[in-house]
Amino acid sequence: MINQALDMGWPALALLAGLLIYFQVSISDPAAKKRATFKTFIGMIATFLLFVAIANYKENFYGENRLLPVSLVMLTAASFMMALYFANLAALLKIGGAMFFVAAVLSGYGNWLPQVEGGFPPKEEKLDFSSMTAQQLADEGEKIIFGGIGKNKEQGAIGKGQCPLCHAFHAGMLGERAPNLIGLPERAGKERLEDPKYSKGNPSKREYAQKEAFTGSGTAENGQEYIAESHACPSCYVVAGFGVKGTNDKESPMPAIHKPPISLSLPELAAVDTWLYVREGRDAPSFDEIVKSYEKFIPEADRPKQQEEKAGPASALMADGTEPVDQIFAKAQCVACHTIPGIPGATGTIGPKLVEGTNAPSRMKDKEYKGTAKSTADYIMESVVLPSAYVVKPFPDNTMPKVFGQKLSAGALKKIVDYLSQVYEGKEPPKIS
Amino acid sequence: MGLVTRKKVLSIMALCAMVGLLLFPVVVSLPSLAIGADAPDAAKKEDAKAEKGRDVYYKTEGVVAGAPAPKTVDGPRDYPRYNFESRVLLWFANQQHLYYGSFVLAVPLFCMVIEFMGMVTKDKALAKRYDQLAYDFIKISLTAYSLTAVLGGILIFTFLTLYPAFFGYLSSIFRPVMHIYALMFVAESGTLYIYYYGWDKMKEGFLKWIHLSMSVILNVIGTLLMFLANSWVGFMMSPAGVDEQGRYLGNIWHVIHTALWNPLNIHRLLGNMAFGGGVVAAYAAYKFLASKTDEDRAHYDWMGYIAMALGVAFLIPLPFAGYWLMREVYAYRQQMGITLMGGLLAWLFIIQATMIGILFLSTNYYLWQAMGRMRGAEKYQRYIKYLVFILACGYMVFITPHTMVMTPAELKAMGGQQHPVLGNYGVMSAKNGGINVIITTTVLSFVWYMRGNKVSTVSWAKFGNIFMGVFFACAYVNIIWLAILGYYIPANVRVGLSVPQVATTLSCLFFMFALNAVMMKGAKQMGPIEWGKISARSQYALIMLATAFTWMMGLMGYIRSSVRLFWHVNEIMRDNSPWAYTHTVGFAANMISFNVLFFWVSILFVFWLGSLAAKKAPVEVKAAVPGSAPQPAGSH
Repeated sequence: MINQALDMGWPALALLAGLLIYFQVSISDPAAKKRATFKTFIGMIATFLLFVAIANYKENFYGENRLLPVSLVMLTAASFMMALYFANLAALLKIGGAMFFVAAVLSGYGNWLPQVEGGFPPKEEKLDFSSMTAQQLADEGEKIIFGGIGKNKEQGAIGKGQCPLCHAFHAGMLGERAPNLIGLPERAGKERLEDPKYSKGNPSKREYAQKEAFTGSGTAENGQEYIAESHACPSCYVVAGFGVKGTNDKESPMPAIHKPPISLSLPELAAVDTWLYVREGRDAPSFDEIVKSYEKFIPEADRPKQQEEKAGPASALMADGTEPVDQIFAKAQCVACHTIPGIPGATGTIGPKLVEGTNAPSRMKDKEYKGTAKSTADYIMESVVLPSAYVVKPFPDNTMPKVFGQKLSAGALKKIVDYLSQVYEGKEPPKIS
Repeated sequence: MGLVTRKKVLSIMALCAMVGLLLFPVVVSLPSLAIGADAPDAAKKEDAKAEKGRDVYYKTEGVVAGAPAPKTVDGPRDYPRYNFESRVLLWFANQQHLYYGSFVLAVPLFCMVIEFMGMVTKDKALAKRYDQLAYDFIKISLTAYSLTAVLGGILIFTFLTLYPAFFGYLSSIFRPVMHIYALMFVAESGTLYIYYYGWDKMKEGFLKWIHLSMSVILNVIGTLLMFLANSWVGFMMSPAGVDEQGRYLGNIWHVIHTALWNPLNIHRLLGNMAFGGGVVAAYAAYKFLASKTDEDRAHYDWMGYIAMALGVAFLIPLPFAGYWLMREVYAYRQQMGITLMGGLLAWLFIIQATMIGILFLSTNYYLWQAMGRMRGAEKYQRYIKYLVFILACGYMVFITPHTMVMTPAELKAMGGQQHPVLGNYGVMSAKNGGINVIITTTVLSFVWYMRGNKVSTVSWAKFGNIFMGVFFACAYVNIIWLAILGYYIPANVRVGLSVPQVATTLSCLFFMFALNAVMMKGAKQMGPIEWGKISARSQYALIMLATAFTWMMGLMGYIRSSVRLFWHVNEIMRDNSPWAYTHTVGFAANMISFNVLFFWVSILFVFWLGSLAAKKAPVEVKAAVPGSAPQPAGSH
């Protein structure tokens, strides 16, 4: 970083050095000469600190290094130091220093807190739910609800369906915003349908914001249909105490699940419902039966269409970015050719060892470098997507496939770049995330 | 025609020109709006089978009058890019424009208030000081105004260059009012220049009232301009006036008047004022610290105080406006509210809570320091330590989180979803108690400041003092009692407790201020306020206030924008760029700091440019002897 700071800041430092020499030659009064020399020296230290701070930003901005606020502390120190010796600018420098300090504290606070990153939007992939077994379907359902198999007891786990934002799923857990869904398959066909307020078979008697999911849809006749109706038309019946505030439980805060922003397709809803049954050890209705229950309450025009599979092999991603970085390296087969410190099994020798934190800066300056990257992160991205931009000697060109730009999602590429930019020769590799 | 009459005629003509400028965009837009309104009818007659769509928010039917929202794909057509993250570039351009925009919209509002105060003040010296202050303010904003326009241009180019499909879609939706927006900007510029350059020509009597009327018109235009800009933001968060495919349904009012538009308008208006106060206070602090003479120090000390007082006056209602906005967010989409307050973005709200606390602590600190320039205020100094204790307790409770997204290991280490001890302070009941205690204590600090160098001479002074003391004590007891009660009652009842808590705080604010003003009327002065005789530390408190406010604005803007997650327009137009994920808290904090510092470096440059302009010699101000200066409004 010091080298990079000197690379960037040498003209300014040279100018100050020139001034230093000029003062030595032009000032005859020893006291004045001493003062000028001292001030120039202070200026040089402050300038150096400034460029180290900039280099820190430049190098680590995308790496999301949590020590970036240190740059602001350096600028704070530089400002106050300058203010001590440059009386005519003291007020401005002190104010600047105070502002840098406030920003440093707040930035540091933000970096000190647990780092939660919102993932990429859920990948829209086409799965044939209809031919799955009940367990496979339940697994897909768990993924939709919680984002992964086995995540249902994990605090904060959330999937495309967003259900855990409001619902609890286990005994003893309190969902203040929506009912706990433990025991729903049994409760649905008994308590709910028998509740006079539900008005089974007579929707016109309902006193809710909506009487029917759509005109003529009627009410549920069994437990599964009740579940389907509550997904398709949450305001057709509201469990006491869980309505929108001020509506006297006449309107539900829950969105219709088949509509944006959640937009689950009927097969996806079937998967979700199957999980609700299977996780309690119950036999779930068949896929077709569940889909039919939804068709009763969602008119054809409103049914979300399943994503068309994109033509061509480009859509088949090797990694979508939700995996840990070691799995991304494995899925993309990087480990077969490269040695990557910190990645288990990455001991390949067909390509160069990937210590890009050390190598990238010097390679970008190499005469044979044909790319456009200006930072380590850009260089890594470029070398993955356009491997021929720079070919490390003695490895031959055109060995590495040039399809990773299409085969890896943006999230996966970002994770690769983040990881490799922190790998330095002779240093501990970064943690896998 | 005499000189005075000619001036009057010219002033009235200028005022008419401003009214004309205000009405011009409306008149020009009428035909297009009319066409827009008639279009469905005409279409009905021509083609009874015209395709209809259902408004996603208003649920009304309308004839489809636009193309669906484009389904973008990652590539140079929809997301062209430089060798840099496009979202970060746009973030920067947007934030800078917003900072400057907020500042230049807030300052004329200040000017209007201060000019009015100057006009109604009987003390001529004080009136001149107010007038000079308002003039100084508008002079600062004039230079920033050009920069705002330049940044607006840069923002549009950034949109066009990096997000052409998205910007094209938004422009197509807002096309019926795009030209109004542009014309309003022209009108704003015209009125601002007339207002500024007419200052010396219209400084007395009837002409001054005309001048003040101009500032009213200027602010009406500015506010409408901001409301129009907010409608874009509101549409992106809570779209209306389009069907599920994003097709425009011919009713531009529905597009503008979305679920979140009104709360956003109020929140931004108040926020701009508090922010503007902070910027001017920082400017005054800078000038104070750089002052060479006692006269200058006295002037800028006073200026800093007025700016701070105005800023804080709008800061106090800001949390309540924020509360309304969040309530509307929850009413619009519950999962959006949860993502904000209890999900992905919840840690950012912890930072926000920390910052609100910092703002109030800085304000209190400044007021305690400011008491040092009053003879007689020493009697309050010994009690300040108790206020510090109360503020610290309120602050610690206010910033304690409740439920957070955690890893299983963290969850295990904590022994549950909430910390066994601190978790108790994280609930809303405790937080409401914390923030109300902080605001009430700030009110108490203000009351002490206002009576710092005075002794009431009314016959019921003793009773008044006891009454005020009991009132504050009861307020604290009530707020804390309701906070404790909240633990023992159901959640739906607990929510309602915030109303009496807020009512208690506001009662302290309005009733105690009013009572204090009555008690201090004709009060015996222990000594003058010695403007300029205040510690340098107090000025750093002002700078802290300004920087923290700028940071908080950046933070809240980021939160508001991020809550759309991977939608350009919520639920209508999906973001398919490589940047459709949400950054970590740390990255956001670094980026906000960068924006804040860039703004401050550039605005300090603007201040410096302003100082180069020909100075309107503040002769009247310097003539006033520090210490014998008339009291600033709002202070006594």
